[in-house]
Amino acid sequence: MKSIGVLGWELPPFFAGGLGIHTLNLFSIIGRIENITLYIPRFTNEAIRYAFRVKMVNYNPVGSPYEKNKEFYQKVMDYNEILINEVSKDHDIIHMHDWITVPAGIKLKEKYGKKLVFTVHSTEYDRSGGFYPQERVLKIEREGMLAADRIIAVSHYTKRIITEKFSIDPNKVTVVHNGVKSSIFSSFTKNYELKNKILYFGRVTPQKGAKFFIEAAYKVRRYIPSAKFIVAGEGDQLNEIKSLSYSLGLENTVNFYGFVSEAESVKLYLDSDVFILPAVSEPFGMTVIESLSTGTPAIISKTTGVGEALNHVLKADFWDTDKIANYIIAVLKYRKLREALGIFGKFEASKFSWENTALKTLEVYNSL
Amino acid sequence: MKFIVMFLEAHQPRRLNNFRYQDIGTGKDYFWDEKNRDIIQRISKNSYLPTLTLLADYKVPITLSFSGILLEQLWKYEPSVPELLKEYLRNSGELAIESYYHSLSSIWNPDRFLNEIRKDMEMKQNIYNREFKTFRNTEMIYNDNIDKIVNNLNVKNILTEGTDSLIWKFNPNFIYKTPHGHNLFLRNYRLSDDISFRFSTREWNEYPLFSEKYLSWLSNSPGDVINLFMDFETFGEHQRKETGIFEFLEALITKAKDYNLKFTTVNEAAELLYPQREISIQDYISWADIPRDLSAWLGNELQRDLFEMLKALSGCIPDNIYNYLLTSDHLYYVSLGTTPDITVHTYFNPYGSPYDAYINFRNILEDLRQKYCNKN
Repeated sequence: MKSIGVLGWELPPFFAGGLGIHTLNLFSIIGRIENITLYIPRFTNEAIRYAFRVKMVNYNPVGSPYEKNKEFYQKVMDYNEILINEVSKDHDIIHMHDWITVPAGIKLKEKYGKKLVFTVHSTEYDRSGGFYPQERVLKIEREGMLAADRIIAVSHYTKRIITEKFSIDPNKVTVVHNGVKSSIFSSFTKNYELKNKILYFGRVTPQKGAKFFIEAAYKVRRYIPSAKFIVAGEGDQLNEIKSLSYSLGLENTVNFYGFVSEAESVKLYLDSDVFILPAVSEPFGMTVIESLSTGTPAIISKTTGVGEALNHVLKADFWDTDKIANYIIAVLKYRKLREALGIFGKFEASKFSWENTALKTLEVYNSL
Repeated sequence: MKFIVMFLEAHQPRRLNNFRYQDIGTGKDYFWDEKNRDIIQRISKNSYLPTLTLLADYKVPITLSFSGILLEQLWKYEPSVPELLKEYLRNSGELAIESYYHSLSSIWNPDRFLNEIRKDMEMKQNIYNREFKTFRNTEMIYNDNIDKIVNNLNVKNILTEGTDSLIWKFNPNFIYKTPHGHNLFLRNYRLSDDISFRFSTREWNEYPLFSEKYLSWLSNSPGDVINLFMDFETFGEHQRKETGIFEFLEALITKAKDYNLKFTTVNEAAELLYPQREISIQDYISWADIPRDLSAWLGNELQRDLFEMLKALSGCIPDNIYNYLLTSDHLYYVSLGTTPDITVHTYFNPYGSPYDAYINFRNILEDLRQKYCNKN
C-alpha cells in the first residue's frame, strides 16, 4: 500500500465546485486501495467523516479559485506556505490538483525528494476564455508541469493544451476522463414529448460561452417563437448576459433561474428538450455527461473536452450560432432525432464512472 | 480450368447539399453538385481511368457495373470515362444492369423498381449498343421476391452476397439456380475482401499480398468459379496506387493461366457451366456491413423515419428531384452502426456525423414537403 499525500482545495459540503466533486468521488474509491491523506484548508472545526483521511490545514481562505482578483492569488500563496510545513514527510507520492496547490507540491518534492503527480483540471487558458490569461498563474502551471513526474489531463483536449501551449513532453501526460455519479441522474425515465425548453446550466462566465447561448436563442426564436431558453447558474458575467438578452428583446424568451442545486438540476434536465454547452474552452464538461445520463440530448462546442469521447451529441464551433440554432430547431422539430440522441446518449454516458477514473489514476501511481 | 469471375461496381450518389433549417424556403440548391463534381473527377483520375485502361489494354473479360446516376454524372464531369468504357466493351467484358438510381425501391415498390431497371437497361443498351443479361441490385440486396420481380425482364443472371448462412450450405464457387430459373452467383467474400479490404493492411498476417500467393489460393479453392465482387474504387481509390494495387491486378491478369485460371464475364461463365441446385432465400440479404442485411440503410429509427417520409412524399415532388433522393447512400450516411462498420460509414460520410446527415436530409424533405406537397 502506497501512501499518497493529496493536495486539495475544496471538498463537499464546502465549496462544491468541480474540483471538490472530483476529489471526493475519486479518493473515496482510491482510499480503499491506497493510503490516502487529503490536505485541505480548514473550513470548519466540525468533524466530518470521509472514506479517506482528511487533514485540515490551519488556514481558511474564503473565495473561489475561479475569481481573478489579487487577493485570491495571495490567499493561494499563503495556503501553500502553510501546506509545506503540514504535509507529512512519509508519503510516497504527492498529488497536486490545479495551480492552486502547485507551489507547495514543488517545494515538497525538493524538500523530501518525493514523486510528484499533477492533475490538470483546467488551465488559465481555459478559465480566461482566451482573454488576458494571468501570466503569473500560467507560470505556476508550467512550473508544476515541469516538476511533475507524471501529469494527468482530464481530456485529450487538455493534453493538447499542455503539450502545445506549455510545451510539455506528451509522454509524461496521461489522459484520465472524469466519471459521473450516474445513479442520481440516470434513475428517471425521460419522456420525449416536446417541452419547448432549451437549457444552459453552469457558471455564467466567458469561458462557458453563455453569450453564444443567448445569440442562438435570438436566432431560434424567429422559427419557434414559443421556445423557452433557461439560464441556470450564476457567475461574473450574469449581468452582462442579462443585458444582452434584454437588448435583443428576449425578455419573454430567456429565463434566468439563478443558482440551482444538484437535486434541482436533475429535474431541469428532465424537463428540457436539449442541453447546450457552447464553451469557449472546457477541459472536460461534467454537465454534458449529467445531461446525457438523464436522457436529455446535448449540443456542445468542439472545444469541450468530453466531446472527444462522445458520438451521440451534436457538435459545433462555439461561435457558430447559426449552426447551433439549426441543431436546436432540428431537435425541437424532429422527435425521432430527440429520441435517438437521448437514448444513445444515455447509453454512451454510462461508460463514464469514477471506478474507471480511479483505476486509471492508480495505474499512474503504479508507473512511478 | 477454373474461372475468375470478377465484378466491379462503380457508383457515386448525387450528394445532398448542407441544408439548415434556416435554408427552408430560401430556394437553396438541394444537391451538392460542386462536391459531386470534385469527387467524381478525383475518383476518375485515381481509379476509373487507370483501371479501365489496364482492362482495355489486356482485353480481359470481366463484368462491370456503373450505376445510372454515376454514368449521368460522368458524362457531365468526366466524359472520358464512359468513352473509355465504350472502347473496353467493344472488345471484351460485359456491363451489369442495376437499379438506375441505386435506390431501395426493390423492397418497397415493384413498379418503381422495374421502371428503374428498364431505364438502366435502355440507357446502357443505347450507349453501348449491346444487350446485357446480368443483373445486380443496389448493394447486392436480394431475396426470392426480387428474383420474382426481375422475372418480368430479359435477365439471365443475378449476383448477390455469399453470406455466412448461405455458404455454410452452398459453396460460393459454383453457379446456382433461383426459383425462377435465373443463374445465381454468390460473392466469395473472403477472397474478395482479401483485395478490397486487406490488401494494404500491414497488421494482416498475409501482408504483403503478392499475386503468386493469391493466385495459388484461388487455384486451391475448390469449385468452378471464383466470384470476386468488389467496389470498382478498390483499384486506385480505397487502395491507392502507391500500395501496388495496379501492379497486383496486372499480375493477376497475366499470370492467371499459369495457375490454370481464366478470367471470364458472368454471362460467359453461365453459358459454359451447368448450374448446381436451386437456392431459395427468404430474408433480404446484401453485401453491406457485418449483418449483411438491410440494417446499413434501415437499421435505426432515424433511417426508418427518413424512408417513411420519402415514401409518403412520392407523387408530389417532381421526379427530377425525387428520384435522386431515393439513392440508398443518403440513408447509409445516417447509420449509427457498430464498430467496425461505423468506421466504414464515417469514411464515406460527407456530413461529419450520422446525426448531421439526418438533419440535412430531413430539412430538405421538410422544404420539399412545404413547397410541393402542401401538407403544412
